[in-house]
Amino acid sequence: MIIEKIFNKWILLFLFTIPVFGFVFEEPYYITLTTKVVILGIAGIGLNLALGYCGLISFGHAAFFGIGGYVTGILSFHALNSELMFSWPFVSSGSSDMLVIWPIVILSSAFLALIIGLLSLRTTGVYFIMITLAFAQMLYFFAISWPNYGGEDGLSIYMRNSLPIINTMDPLTFYFICLFWLLVVIFISAKLINSSFGMAFQAIKQNEERVKSVGIETFKVKLLVFVISGTITGLAGSLYTDLNRFISPSVLNWQMSGEIMIFVILGGIARLYGPIVGAAFFIVLEQTLGGYTENWQFWLGLILILEILYVRTGILSLFEKKFKYEK
Amino acid sequence: MKNKILNIKNLSKSYGAFKVTDEITIDLHFDEIHALIGPNGAGKSTLIKQIVGSVKHDIGSIILDQEDITDLTDVERAKIGISRTFQVSSIIPQFSAIDNIVLSLLDKSSKTFQLFKSIRNNKDLYSNAKKILKEIELSEKSDISASDLSHGDRRKLEVGLALAMDPKVFLFDEPMAGLDESGTKMMINLFKKIKTNSPILLIEHDMDAVFALADRVSVINYGKIVATGTVDEIRKNELVRDVYLGYEI
Repeated sequence: MIIEKIFNKWILLFLFTIPVFGFVFEEPYYITLTTKVVILGIAGIGLNLALGYCGLISFGHAAFFGIGGYVTGILSFHALNSELMFSWPFVSSGSSDMLVIWPIVILSSAFLALIIGLLSLRTTGVYFIMITLAFAQMLYFFAISWPNYGGEDGLSIYMRNSLPIINTMDPLTFYFICLFWLLVVIFISAKLINSSFGMAFQAIKQNEERVKSVGIETFKVKLLVFVISGTITGLAGSLYTDLNRFISPSVLNWQMSGEIMIFVILGGIARLYGPIVGAAFFIVLEQTLGGYTENWQFWLGLILILEILYVRTGILSLFEKKFKYEK
Repeated sequence: MKNKILNIKNLSKSYGAFKVTDEITIDLHFDEIHALIGPNGAGKSTLIKQIVGSVKHDIGSIILDQEDITDLTDVERAKIGISRTFQVSSIIPQFSAIDNIVLSLLDKSSKTFQLFKSIRNNKDLYSNAKKILKEIELSEKSDISASDLSHGDRRKLEVGLALAMDPKVFLFDEPMAGLDESGTKMMINLFKKIKTNSPILLIEHDMDAVFALADRVSVINYGKIVATGTVDEIRKNELVRDVYLGYEI
């Protein structure tokens, strides 16, 4: 456990230094890649709370990633084009201010997670997986058939949303905004995991019937975890839209849910920093193998199979074991 | 009625044509241990499950401390004072023994939804948990992962989880199964002590323990209560000898 903590500090050190090197050596590409790692890491940490710590195998987290992305895109689209968004109960033309967008994203994702959670958490096992998948696919098909916001082609925003004083168009600045959110999410997740609420949801993963028998309302606990999890993933979706200045229905697709799940599994289920490692591994693989073959995901699948067969608890646990042997 | 803390009337449950419990009427008085005995498959554990609400009964009523709890959920019943142990040890395997007890203390101390305060810093919860561990003689194993405890220690921990809830009644499902002699002795003494605060409905196959502990005994066979009485009355009951105890007793 102590070794894992040291390794986690190394992860943070890498996250601070790699983009700075990218900046110093004028390689903005690496800054963008690391920004993507950070954003997808946030999405993974969100899912990990539900899946890794509470045992809720959600196959629909793309819904939250997508809602965060679309809320950001739509608000920004209206603000940048000075188009009226709605006129009742008040007049709004959207916003391109991140300080306005983030709270709306957080509330929208939380609300969506509440609705999906209220309906899906009445089921368990494979039914829960299927119902969360179904919700995300519903939103995906809705987004495809919504011509106002680009339909299948997606929605472009020609300028990144703004913050007072700070130039968000600068890749390194935007990177540190994302890193700030990652640190906030890690802090909140760590607090939750070590709290009495954390004790309850981690116990539910292991033995829900026992938890019920000691008078804990497991449905409420799971619902709150699901809402927090969805909200974090929604925030990642918002940052992702700002990174690409583009949002399309593909982020709502089941494939996105699968990818977020892969970050968690690769890095280490129920390990706080696992999804960051998983996302980094995924992107490195995409960038390296993707250069040689279009079918790089074949190799990803192979690695995933080997990991599940031989490591199970993710890349982080592999390093932990290696260090232990060296000791 | 006044001296009854738990009153179960005509509780029935069928799976198709098979009646698991058949119009069971049984009660639990203040300060008593009421043992429920019977052959395997007689319906004892199913009765416990119906009382705690994890299995829905078809007909009948359950009154706890003069309150009708028939329509309450399993969690609501646990909250208002029904505490149970499971026939097969049901603990949180990756938690230490003390964390298992702390989990059981959460609801009573209204700490379940405390989101950001570290549980480790809650000295009250941990000192209460330590007291319970001492009672069940697991103090020295408090930091051992529950999955690494021996079978006997897990049974003790089960009882510890129930104790932590400070309930109105205990429903113990074979708490002494697999315990060694000293463990059984410890449990007998513990049950005698706690019954004055919270009476116990006890399912147990260890007849020596039952006869040492029980104030009353009910015998269940094919889902029906076939006899209820004091230990002496049950020992002498011909029908009970026939269906369960045998003629050697």
